[in-house]
Amino acid sequence: MACFGGGRGFPMRIEGATFGLGFIFFVPLSAGYWYLSRDPVGTTALVMSGALAFLVAFYVLYTAKRVYPRPEDRLDANIDEADPEYGFFSPHSWWPLAVGFGSFVIVLGLIFAVWLLVLGIFLLLMSLVGWLFEYYRGAFAH
Amino acid sequence: MGSTAYAPVSRRRRSRLLVIAAGTALAATALTGCTAREAFFFDLPEPASEQAAIVDNLWQGSWIAAWAVGILTWGLMLWASVAYRRRHQSEVPVQTKYNLPIEILYTVVPLIMILGLFWFTAKDQSELLTIKNDQEQTVQVVGFRWSWGFNYLEQDVYDSGLPVGEGTTNAPATLVLPVGQKVRFELNSPDVIHSFWVPAFLFKMDVIPGKTNVFELTPNKIGTFAGKCAELCGTDHARMLFQVKVVEPAEFEAYVEGLRAKGQNGLLQTGRFTNEGQVPGERLI
Amino acid sequence: MTILNERPVAAPVAVTPRKPSLGKVIVSWITSTDHKVIGYMYLFTSTFWFLAAGLMALVMRAELAVPGLQFISLEQYNQMFTMHGTIMLFLFATPLFVGFANVIMPLQIGSPDVAFPRLNMLGYWLFFFGGLTVALGFLTPGGAAAFGWFAYQPLSNAVNSPEVGADLWLLGLALGGLGTILGGVNFITTIFCMRAPGMTMFRMPIFTWTVFTTSVLVLLAFPVLAGALAMAFIDRAFGAVVFDASNGGPILWQHLFWFFGHPEVYILALPFFGIASEIIPVFSRKPVFGYKGLVFATLGIGALSMSVWAHHLYVTGSVYLPFFAIMTMLIAVPTGVKFFNWIGTMWKGSVSFDTPMLWTMGFLITFLFGGLTGIILSAPPLDFPVSDSYFVVAHFHYTVFGTVVFLFFAGLYFWWPKMTGKMLDEKLGKVHFWLLFIGFQVTFLVQHWLGVQGMPRRYGDYLPEDDFQLLNTVSTVGAALLGISTLFFLWNVFKTFRSGTRVEVDDPWGWGSSLEWATSCPPPRHNFTSLPKIRSERPAFDLHHPEIAGVEPWRASAVEGASR
Repeated sequence: MACFGGGRGFPMRIEGATFGLGFIFFVPLSAGYWYLSRDPVGTTALVMSGALAFLVAFYVLYTAKRVYPRPEDRLDANIDEADPEYGFFSPHSWWPLAVGFGSFVIVLGLIFAVWLLVLGIFLLLMSLVGWLFEYYRGAFAH
Repeated sequence: MGSTAYAPVSRRRRSRLLVIAAGTALAATALTGCTAREAFFFDLPEPASEQAAIVDNLWQGSWIAAWAVGILTWGLMLWASVAYRRRHQSEVPVQTKYNLPIEILYTVVPLIMILGLFWFTAKDQSELLTIKNDQEQTVQVVGFRWSWGFNYLEQDVYDSGLPVGEGTTNAPATLVLPVGQKVRFELNSPDVIHSFWVPAFLFKMDVIPGKTNVFELTPNKIGTFAGKCAELCGTDHARMLFQVKVVEPAEFEAYVEGLRAKGQNGLLQTGRFTNEGQVPGERLI
Repeated sequence: MTILNERPVAAPVAVTPRKPSLGKVIVSWITSTDHKVIGYMYLFTSTFWFLAAGLMALVMRAELAVPGLQFISLEQYNQMFTMHGTIMLFLFATPLFVGFANVIMPLQIGSPDVAFPRLNMLGYWLFFFGGLTVALGFLTPGGAAAFGWFAYQPLSNAVNSPEVGADLWLLGLALGGLGTILGGVNFITTIFCMRAPGMTMFRMPIFTWTVFTTSVLVLLAFPVLAGALAMAFIDRAFGAVVFDASNGGPILWQHLFWFFGHPEVYILALPFFGIASEIIPVFSRKPVFGYKGLVFATLGIGALSMSVWAHHLYVTGSVYLPFFAIMTMLIAVPTGVKFFNWIGTMWKGSVSFDTPMLWTMGFLITFLFGGLTGIILSAPPLDFPVSDSYFVVAHFHYTVFGTVVFLFFAGLYFWWPKMTGKMLDEKLGKVHFWLLFIGFQVTFLVQHWLGVQGMPRRYGDYLPEDDFQLLNTVSTVGAALLGISTLFFLWNVFKTFRSGTRVEVDDPWGWGSSLEWATSCPPPRHNFTSLPKIRSERPAFDLHHPEIAGVEPWRASAVEGASR
């Protein structure tokens, strides 16, 4: 696997390659499938899957070019080379339950009654806003 | 601590358990009156058409290969479980991580076997499904909720049936065919997907609304063969039974005349047969 | 005032924290953003659905034991198998993958949590409410959905299935599917961006590789399902004609559904294959054999699984058969590679049959047979006689039950000490295994013959003259055994909860290789108080057995009891 530079520190190359190889798999597959079957449904699904793989592969490999090798890309990295401050992790939150419940009410509203749907959309929007601003309001305001 | 606290099942006890398990399996098999051939080849029904013989052949051959692979792999597992079982609590085996030649071997050999299977499959498949348009009879099969209708296109007569089973005294819908004559089947449905399955023909094909499926088949055995709907179609899916009676050509002609005498001239339309009294979009709640 | 009369000062008393009230505990669970707690919630809820769908299976088998309708009507039988399949696949097996991945994967890559903790919790709630929606159908007058778990059109449209249970089914699955997609996004991001230093992609444990591949499959397959479900709902509720028979709708639905449906079964299989790859090395005291081969086989299975969907449409007469036949047969090759790698791990090892290993052997024995019947079914001429019969029912139970259920219990028995700090009872575990293994074989082996002899699937009844009774009765007896085995499992869990032996070390099994065995049982809130140096794909093994791994013994982890 020398060509992938794993261990020599080229970042995210293998990650990008997993999606890139997926893209390389889907392209001839879709072409072959269309040629053999003339089936629009399957061909569309395969092409779009290839497009998804391409999207992620392109983003990962393109971004990787501007990033220094990370400690997790190097075979000889030490634990203390990681960032001392890892980042912020939400300790606990009510908002996922609120968003989930709002989605549930929307589903029931779509099936049973328009007023439930309206209520659900309102609940969902409120809980999405609450979620997004959870660590920017009240005690966390700055 | 850890796994040392748990004494492994003693060797004698484990082999006794294995014998009991194997014995139970054999006894269960014997009790059902299975012959060895039935047991190992999951015997398909006796082929009742020329095409069915092709399927039967491929089935037997494929199962021989499948059992060979299975016995080899189960054998390897059994060997590894017995020959390499832990003998001392502190033993440390050689920490082998890979062996490229063996890995390549067990990648390439299955690949070759698969390609071989594919070659036989493709050959048989085209024989079964190619429409040659050299049929002597044509039957239009109408699958509807929940029975079957048969239009004999050459003779311009039809017959149809009713759902069968507990709570009814209906006989299954009957399709009569002359032995040795190639039949073209055209499958239609006015409502949902059904599937036309005659186990003795070793064949089925779906009956799809909005599409006419076609296949050709030559029955070559006289007898009455069960037929079943093989695609979930609603409440009475299990009652959508029919049978295929393969008879001498003379008897077939007599049967057709009988239908004509009963007034079943013309053909069943494949418009709606059943109406549950529901308007599209109407809800029960 | 002398000090002689002063009472002596009482010795300081140790202060023990008051146990939190039940309400506080429940609140801490439902607002949790800890991947471990969320994983436990997934595991617990999935197990509940497993038991519910298992009960439905027992009802079906009770009905089929003898000809005639004894307990339920044909319409109720249709609801039973529809919901049994739906619950087992969408509400048990898929969330089980998310649950195990949540608990174990971040530990294995040395990260403090997943990339998006609140999104992780949202995924659980969408699963919870989606499952609730689907099952609500049972409480409606028209009953639950009754059109089979693949909901073929036009059977599932407004005319043929007017009951509201059908709408609840469609949208409930869409809601749950959204949760699974968000989970997939979370796992891929975590694996790409949050690994510990030195943990390169090719040093990740095989389980993490399978979680990664499965998450990619989720991203590719679930949106197609969501789209199809949405369109089916719009047909029903707003009179669209997407799936109308005059537009080729029935076949369109089948293509869309199975484009999702086939990757779905690999979404179910791959993570559990990963669990097997974790367990076998520990109980063979050898590294997993052919690590790179396993990685490429996993990726190969994932890729190929996207190209085989129409082998479910062989009998429709509407698909290009040779393409799907060859692609389906090809998947056997990487699956075989995995099999031989697992056997290679045991080969010349020191194998002991503790409960996790026993369950894994049960999987190997069972799944092999399911794979062989799968090869038979991959050939269209051999599929024509047995498609939609009990032969296929037997095949998919051998593969899916063989993988998901056996390795579910394997993973539970294996990681129970890591998750809870206690060991499950070995003796009860062995009884559980043998009862389940024998019950499974008796239930499903005979169904191969039933299918070949002509018994279709989804039949709630059969005629006496069909001659299916004996095999059906045998199958029902096996199902009863399966049901009984579950009681032993529940008793084991209960007994361990009350009085299980506490685990004091990081690695009670002794030979763990991946990082989760380098932290306490259970781990602290953010998983590690310190991480060992990572120089191979077996960091915990290098830490605990440096003399065998051939590395310099480095400083023992600061976690108490880490070194043995």
